[in-house]
Amino acid sequence: MQIFVSPVIENPAGGEQGDFSRADLIFYGVDHSGPSFEARVFLNNPDAKAGTPRDDASRYAGSFTVFGHAGCAGDVGHCDVPMGPRDPFDRRPPHALTPQTKTVIVTDALRKISDPEVTITVVPVRPGAEGAEVVDALRFERFSLLTYG
Amino acid sequence: MPPRVTMLGSALRWRGYEHDDAAPPSMSTGAVSPQQPSVPLRYRLNVDSMSAAQLTAFRAAMTSAMGISDERGYNYQAGIHGLPLPISCDIAHGHSIFLPWHRAYLYFFELTLRDQQPDVALPWWDWSTDPAIPVAYDEQRVNGAANPLYSAKVDPVALEQGARGKDPRAPMTLREPDSDGAPPLPSNSDIEEVLALGSFEDFTHQLENLHNNVHMWVGGNKGHMGDIQFAAFDPIFWAHHAMIDRVWRLWQLRHPQAGVPATLLNEALPPFKMTVAQTIESATLGYEYAAQATGGTGTGG
Repeated sequence: MQIFVSPVIENPAGGEQGDFSRADLIFYGVDHSGPSFEARVFLNNPDAKAGTPRDDASRYAGSFTVFGHAGCAGDVGHCDVPMGPRDPFDRRPPHALTPQTKTVIVTDALRKISDPEVTITVVPVRPGAEGAEVVDALRFERFSLLTYG
Repeated sequence: MPPRVTMLGSALRWRGYEHDDAAPPSMSTGAVSPQQPSVPLRYRLNVDSMSAAQLTAFRAAMTSAMGISDERGYNYQAGIHGLPLPISCDIAHGHSIFLPWHRAYLYFFELTLRDQQPDVALPWWDWSTDPAIPVAYDEQRVNGAANPLYSAKVDPVALEQGARGKDPRAPMTLREPDSDGAPPLPSNSDIEEVLALGSFEDFTHQLENLHNNVHMWVGGNKGHMGDIQFAAFDPIFWAHHAMIDRVWRLWQLRHPQAGVPATLLNEALPPFKMTVAQTIESATLGYEYAAQATGGTGTGG
């Protein structure tokens, strides 16, 4: 996927600004088998692009960066992550490309959202001498927006 | 007058300690633990604060290691992180052992350099206050010779495997610092924010993300630092990771009661014959990060 725009979800802060001490946006099952990229997160800005400024006016919330594998250097099957239950006697470390979890602390950005609903936009950007570009590398299983009292 | 040693404290910057000798000064290091021999620690320094003699010795060690093709050499050490296969850092990135694994990695690499120059210690690049490639790493040639901190030859086997995986790279490391679209280098306030986090899991996760940003800032699109498979071949990798290791050390001083979760302590850190527990105290590995250091001779007893 290139740019991800979530469905409208409930603002867990309920539009009550400042009624929490911290807010985390957590992405689960993040793929890191492809190129490195920075995933820029915007709240209530579904039109965000690679050139969108990282500022309050753009409702920029933060980013996570995937330090990617950039392809598979092994033979066929080398980069296939085993699925299903694992033998309890298998003491080997997890597969190299087991998806990761990324947490973006969005406390300040969420405090500025007074709407009762929010959308999450994630723009995967890769730098380059010829300019920043959106890459087709963003893959994750789900996300959660959490606030803490 | 007894020796005065001022350790890291809350300071994030090296504050102007200057000396002309390659070796750091002798000084007391506090109570001797069963694991810590009663010998002076070595001090990792901000690369911008190294004396000319220290920088010369460090460059000499890098050059010598780069000339060795077996497991005592630079390419072997760099290849542990990524290619040639297996990519050993895979067990570390995105996991809670990110910091211990890389502390062990730096430790063994530093020993590799010390086999060439007995008194060298890894320098750190404080990108939070020096948001550019340090001069020591940015000069193509020094005194008429190639600067080993500017670029390094990449293991041909790694290049071949990378090309097979559709990730061809140049045979000598290169950088594309601050390319359009690169994430910004971490600022002082970014570091202060992660240092304020009270949970190790929270801290390591956020610090790893800042670490990822530096890799992308240096590597850009075609540079080796931006790619897990080749990053450690770039000589600046080690100064970047020494800074990350230093931030962990600063966090440890600020949160002495927090620490690494007990469930992680017995985790092995392959390929290094070391557990997480054995990486917790940098002093037991023979080094510290000093903000200031002064010393003097003892009673001679």
